[in-house]
Amino acid sequence: MIGLRSTRTGRLALTVGATVMLLYLALPLVVIIITSFGDNAFGSFPPDSWTLQWYEVLVADGSKWPAALSLSALIAALTTVFSLILGVTAAIALTRSELPLRSAVYALVLGPLIIPQVVIALGLFLLFEPAAMLGSPVAIALGHTVLAAPIAVLILVATLRGIDERLEDAAASMGAGRLTVARRITFPLAAPGMIAAAIFSFITSFDEFFISQFLASGDTVTLPVQVFNSLTFDIDPSVTAISALLIAAALLALVLVALVRWLGSGRRGSLLSVEATAGIANHGRDAG
Amino acid sequence: MSVSTPALPAARIRAALASRRTRYGLLTALPVVIYLLVLFVYPILGTLALSLKDEQGGFTLHWYADTLTGINLSVLLTTLRISAETALASLVLGFLLAYAVSRMRPLFAALAMVLVVAPHFVSALVRTYGWIILLGDYGVLNEAMQAVHLPGAPYQLLYNEIGVVIGTTYVMLPYTVLLLYGVMRGVDRRLLAAAASMGAGRLVIFRRIYLPLVAPGLASAGLLSFILSLGYYVTPRLMGGPNQTMIASLIEQQVTKDYRWNGAAAQGVVLLLITFAGLLLLKVVGSLGASAKQRSNS
Repeated sequence: MIGLRSTRTGRLALTVGATVMLLYLALPLVVIIITSFGDNAFGSFPPDSWTLQWYEVLVADGSKWPAALSLSALIAALTTVFSLILGVTAAIALTRSELPLRSAVYALVLGPLIIPQVVIALGLFLLFEPAAMLGSPVAIALGHTVLAAPIAVLILVATLRGIDERLEDAAASMGAGRLTVARRITFPLAAPGMIAAAIFSFITSFDEFFISQFLASGDTVTLPVQVFNSLTFDIDPSVTAISALLIAAALLALVLVALVRWLGSGRRGSLLSVEATAGIANHGRDAG
Repeated sequence: MSVSTPALPAARIRAALASRRTRYGLLTALPVVIYLLVLFVYPILGTLALSLKDEQGGFTLHWYADTLTGINLSVLLTTLRISAETALASLVLGFLLAYAVSRMRPLFAALAMVLVVAPHFVSALVRTYGWIILLGDYGVLNEAMQAVHLPGAPYQLLYNEIGVVIGTTYVMLPYTVLLLYGVMRGVDRRLLAAAASMGAGRLVIFRRIYLPLVAPGLASAGLLSFILSLGYYVTPRLMGGPNQTMIASLIEQQVTKDYRWNGAAAQGVVLLLITFAGLLLLKVVGSLGASAKQRSNS
């Protein structure tokens, strides 16, 4: 590699600095997982003795967590369906057609990702409140779709851009109709992207707190809202266990997306590379 | 479409195809456009309308006057201050980390990137909770500092500004690292080598060559984390004290506890305007960077 020769002190400083910062990134997650097996959730660290009681409390009678979990799963599933429908159609429009005002459509789609969530949540609250839809899981899912659909669009646009259009043209030239082309050529090639878009839509909704909080009523408490309540109002030590489970689920989702992308790229490149990992977080969006 | 004009068959077919593709495009773009107009743009316009209405439904600006005076103004200023501190911290840390990753061996770089990206997937609430465990009076950090007899330990790291900035920086760091990593990979390292061959010292190379090359990326990363911090709720609410109330907390409180929707709407609009100003600045920085690049390439 052409470049500056690095000095030993430079390398040492870099290594130490990077290690400290990577610790900074990992510590909050590691500490939760360790605490969840300790006997004193809000006390000293490391725990004096080990226990599984917080996990047992999660599923015990009268626990609020199963209901919150199933509500969040339901809302996330609805959001995934909505955002995939919007994402697929929008991605087709943005990559496979002559679309007037394309940049305006793009700006509209990217808007929810940059506008403060509190503004979106407030607007949705003012929209759903007069319609007496507060506390409806469907309303919350419709709100979450505003955040999830743009991510799905970005992923699917990147996916469709990556598919060689000549394959579709070749099929069409041999007499395949539009639907046949979509079903036999485009869909199989786009499947990994669609799975990634589905996973991201699901996570976006599953982790979303603010819109859920604004649109919730007394008996529609999603999992993040319950976590928030456990941290603020009723100090509930079982929150460590649910947090540890959420971390595990998030890491599983990360691995799943990485795997799907890797398989989708025809196992090109390394499964574990900077580009692959950065690409996951960027949703295939070009940097800058 | 004019059928009467005699055109070449190829051109006519192309025109027909183009319009067919246009109709197809409009049809497929419709769902997302309608959805976002109804559930994203219209609610924001509704918020704007509400912020301009008085109790009788007439026009008023007094909700804005409210927003820009007294306690509300100090919350707004706190929001700007914490966002700026967060942007600065995540820029410095993000710069160092991205630089380290860009200089690591591929395997280590990939593992480091996994550590950067993984927290991004975990719910912000959970990550904040991790920090609460770490930073408490009896948390890991204070226990460790007491163990080595650091003077003044334990420090108050929670429910004050330090805690909030540590937490928000943690949330923004993945964005800045990813953005800056992309910028740094684009730096032609031969330029640095050329400067070195002509006798420039490390500091000079960094200041005169490297920094100007990555400056636009630094500016946009900082602005982005500033913008994203503005409306942030979870971490300031859970890790801050009364002096760290940010505008999102204020809006939430006005809506769910005080039922002052007009005031909340005005605050939302002010937040939106600040965001737009930031985005505009981001665009200006981006085009400045692009034109600088063009100049250096020609």
